[in-house]
Amino acid sequence: MRDLYDRLKTAFPLGELTEQRPDLAFVTVAKEQLRSLLLHLRDQEGFTHLVLLTAVDWLEEGNFQLTYLMNNRLACRDLGVRVMLPRDPASMDSIHDLWPTAATYQRELREMFGIDFPGSPRVDEDFILEGWIRTPPYRRDFDTLKFSDEVFAPRPGRASSDPTEFMKQQLYPDKT
Amino acid sequence: MSLSDVLSPFSAWKNLFRDPVTIPDPLNDRPGAPRYRGFHQNDIEKCIGCGTCEAICQNAAIDMVAVAEIATKPGDSGLRPRIDYGRCCWCALCVDVCMTSSLSMSNEYKWVDHDPDAFCFIPGVDLKHWDSSELGYRRPEGHRLTGIERVAMGELEPEVRADSFVEIVAGYDLEQAKLEADRCVSCGLCVATCPTHMAVPEYIATIRDGDYEQGVRLLYQTNPFSNVCGRVCTHRCETSCAARHEGDPIAIRWLKRHIIDQVTHDRIKQIAAEGRVSKPSGHQVAIIGAGPAGLTAAFDLAKAGHGVTVFEALPAPGGMMRYGIPEYRLPYDKLDEDVDVIRSMGVEIRCNTRVGEDISIDQLREQHDTVLLSIGLHQGRSTRIPGSEHEDVVSAVELLRRITFGERFDVPTTVAVIGGGNVAMDIARSLARMQRQQHGQVGVTLVALEAEDLMLADREEIDEAREEGVVIIPSRGPRQCLIERDALTGLETVHCVSVFDDQGRFAPNYDDSDIQIHDAGLIVEAIGQAADHAFLGESLTEALEWERNRIRIDADGRTSESWLWAAGDAVQGPDVITAVAAGHRIAASMMEAFAGTSAQTH
Amino acid sequence: MAYQPDRSQYPSRKPDGSLDIDLSSGKYLKLWQGPQHPGITGNMSVELTVCGDEVIEGKTHVGYLHRGFEKLMERRTFIQCFPIVCRICVPEPDFNEYCYAAAVEELAGLEVPERADWIRTLILEMGRINSYLMYLGGQAGALGQGVIGQWTTYVRDLMLDRFEELSGARIYHMFIMPGGVRDGLPDGFDQRMEETLREIESTLADVKDVMFTNAVFKKRTVGLGYIDPAIVDQYGVTGPTARAAGVAKDVRRDQPYLVYPQLDFEPVVGQDSDVFARADVRRRDLLMSVDLIRQILARMPRSGAVMAPLPNVLHWKIPFGETYIRGECSRGEYGYYLVTDGSGYPRRVNVRGPSYTHAMALLERLIVNCNISDVAALMVSLHTYPPEIER
Repeated sequence: MRDLYDRLKTAFPLGELTEQRPDLAFVTVAKEQLRSLLLHLRDQEGFTHLVLLTAVDWLEEGNFQLTYLMNNRLACRDLGVRVMLPRDPASMDSIHDLWPTAATYQRELREMFGIDFPGSPRVDEDFILEGWIRTPPYRRDFDTLKFSDEVFAPRPGRASSDPTEFMKQQLYPDKT
Repeated sequence: MSLSDVLSPFSAWKNLFRDPVTIPDPLNDRPGAPRYRGFHQNDIEKCIGCGTCEAICQNAAIDMVAVAEIATKPGDSGLRPRIDYGRCCWCALCVDVCMTSSLSMSNEYKWVDHDPDAFCFIPGVDLKHWDSSELGYRRPEGHRLTGIERVAMGELEPEVRADSFVEIVAGYDLEQAKLEADRCVSCGLCVATCPTHMAVPEYIATIRDGDYEQGVRLLYQTNPFSNVCGRVCTHRCETSCAARHEGDPIAIRWLKRHIIDQVTHDRIKQIAAEGRVSKPSGHQVAIIGAGPAGLTAAFDLAKAGHGVTVFEALPAPGGMMRYGIPEYRLPYDKLDEDVDVIRSMGVEIRCNTRVGEDISIDQLREQHDTVLLSIGLHQGRSTRIPGSEHEDVVSAVELLRRITFGERFDVPTTVAVIGGGNVAMDIARSLARMQRQQHGQVGVTLVALEAEDLMLADREEIDEAREEGVVIIPSRGPRQCLIERDALTGLETVHCVSVFDDQGRFAPNYDDSDIQIHDAGLIVEAIGQAADHAFLGESLTEALEWERNRIRIDADGRTSESWLWAAGDAVQGPDVITAVAAGHRIAASMMEAFAGTSAQTH
Repeated sequence: MAYQPDRSQYPSRKPDGSLDIDLSSGKYLKLWQGPQHPGITGNMSVELTVCGDEVIEGKTHVGYLHRGFEKLMERRTFIQCFPIVCRICVPEPDFNEYCYAAAVEELAGLEVPERADWIRTLILEMGRINSYLMYLGGQAGALGQGVIGQWTTYVRDLMLDRFEELSGARIYHMFIMPGGVRDGLPDGFDQRMEETLREIESTLADVKDVMFTNAVFKKRTVGLGYIDPAIVDQYGVTGPTARAAGVAKDVRRDQPYLVYPQLDFEPVVGQDSDVFARADVRRRDLLMSVDLIRQILARMPRSGAVMAPLPNVLHWKIPFGETYIRGECSRGEYGYYLVTDGSGYPRRVNVRGPSYTHAMALLERLIVNCNISDVAALMVSLHTYPPEIER
């Protein structure tokens, strides 16, 4: 992967290469460079297969990480291209014209993370959720347990004892 | 498209002549496979209610609930898992993680009931027809989700330590401690067994997180003697550890020591002082005896702003921790560190001050609001066998005290020790070291009344003593000390058939025909100790209530005199951690007594 | 066999490129196929706009089965994630278990015993057979041929019996755990597996006679749902769907995992890229899996550990890192993208199911100009399992 990285580095300002396996590496690129890098990878370097496009919420740093995982079928290796976006407002260029299937990923990211991809087909249509008005649910600040406590009723009669506390009550009830 | 494309599909008709493949009676003819993960079984006798199954259940399907017929006891919370089949996904992680292998799954998978709540049940308690099923999922051999083996502790080899009083145990390094701390499942069964209820799972967690200052903070919440207890505690917590059932118990004692070893003494002092009340309350407390009970009470009281003075007869504080425990188990500088933290709370310790000689108990009473009596057991008991009045027949506590004083005395080449407890081991191993230093070889014979497997000493003490050359002979009762021309020459023992009678009373039964002579130029009696209450004076002795030579105390440690509390080995025993617990109780009780009363003016 | 004349200019488009559909004209009809419909692949639906019996637009709708697994895993410890991942795909759950376990093992630095790798491979091939058997029944059923489904269900049940005795469960096996597998093979497993494989082979011979050598089936499927090999990468097409288009992608050969480098096989490739070709590739791939299972049972080690020593799973933390693990499942490339942040919980898990691309963008493209009665067959031929779309 190092050879590829050295070649790419001449044309694109790239972050450090993280070599996870001999056939898998990750590299970070600026938001503005992404499209041209993906095009270059697809047309010049044989990375024709968009394996997946997803996001990671680094809430503490205030960033979303978008991961475009590209696969070179002939060389049998993968390059994950990372883009860091500010969390609010999060917006990214669409690549549905390079890979039509990317529209689905972008629609999901819009719904689940609240990341906008202006121009992507049907990006504002409900994808999986229907009538969702809360925080986009795959963001880290959406608390699933709180949501479920609010929306669903627990089964009556369920209660548990902590062994330590229970033993305290049983074995030395009058002591602190 | 060809003719065969038209004809070939008709070959399906041949199936008209086949037997059906369906099972005619699936409810009865289709048992689950031998490994099937069906309905749960729980052997409630084996289950210890540790709640590890609940902790690992990703569905929150398990509750730990009290069960009427199961009593809470040390090492068993008395709780049992109740499983909600509305949530269970039959992943069997609960079976995999179960610390005792009590949980398993039967191969039964059919259960019809009109009541939905029936499917929330306590396996093994709510009886089911599959409870005794032999088939079903059991945790496969070797499949473990928690660490089984204790991280080995570095110790000096017998040949290195046998002639030296240097500390034997090395202590864990960071990596070892993390590995050992990782094994803990945080169930908390140990907490109740610890007399002072140390927050064991929590402080072990601080090792995993590398947050040692928080660890020290947690230790000091319940125990100001973590250097001492991290080394010599009887660690009864480890006998309640859930990990001991199918592996080694967590090395709780060594982990405690590891925490205290990682933080500088000055920082420990700062952490221990957190929450200290700096404004004096005006109340004054006198504590007689600077042992673990007295000093723990002193620590708590001083931290809360009360004036505390500790009166210690011996030259240095620590009591039996200093004068009873050999240095190779507890180095004096480590004890000094614990005591220094206590002193830094504002506790005044007056050594070489024997109550009854240097100051009277009446004076103490007059000058203080309350008095705590924590004097320990410093008088050795004698076997009173013929010849035991000889000057070379001595008590173990006296000899240990002389060793601590640094007295150089000549140890004969042959020594006999009478007793099978830890004190006997301490003196035998100390004398063996001195023999090796003085003579280059060991000649210590230890005779214990009890059989090998019933000896009172810790197993590791027995093993290590043997490694160091001490000859340990169980099931021997002392008969007489042999004296020739005024010189002690040996000890005669007989075989002890049994120690207790049918009612469990102490009544040794001997076989007089089985006699052995053990050469001995010195005989050490280590069969128990007593307290010296002479200093109390007649009137107070009269006034106090007694119970078999011990002052009677209530649950808070109060005597029948309203100003006097008592604690430690002299009233309770048997170990440091029990004394620490008593110290806390008494401090709390005294402070309760102070509440609402104004301080006397002294 | 000639299919339709070129209909690529139909429906007509407005100048801005959108479809020129005026519902009020009375010429068009909106029709929902699904979510409750016999001709739908699981819990999804297709919103069809038809003109006569020709589909001029189709939109895939999912979300009927969304349980938010990726999010649920963020609040479960690494071991607690293990029982839930299999639920992302009912008919072939084992890829979830394998990909998740392998990703955790890679980031945690666990060395899996070789015997466990053999057993994992065995399980994945068993699962592939089951998935194909279910598909064949569905593909025939979509064209009204119910008997194939009955036969394949019977032999699939035999394979479920093998799963049951090996893993302790029939559908959600929860057997491939981070670190290895739970246990070795039970006694007598090989013989019973061989009997099952023979039964499968004999059933497949019948399926070939009755389904594939069948004028009706050919008439309905040849030429239907043609996928141009040129768009395979644009639409993220993988697995048998790509191989039926002559694109010989097979992760087992291209980026081999587990013990595939030690097995003898060649990816099954077709060329016509229509529904029939895809069905035939899957039938032949199924037979290859039968052969692979025989190879595995003949060569696998019979003793040794099946689990790597695990740290105490109750406080298992994994250092910062990210990785992607893929495998070749019956529908194409299955993958797990796992990000860890040094805590005891995954930072992010993203599941790449092949249906995600196949049933959305690709299906919406292929469905245009299709006859309504062929929609079910077309959808089934993409071998879609909706849970892996919405995860």
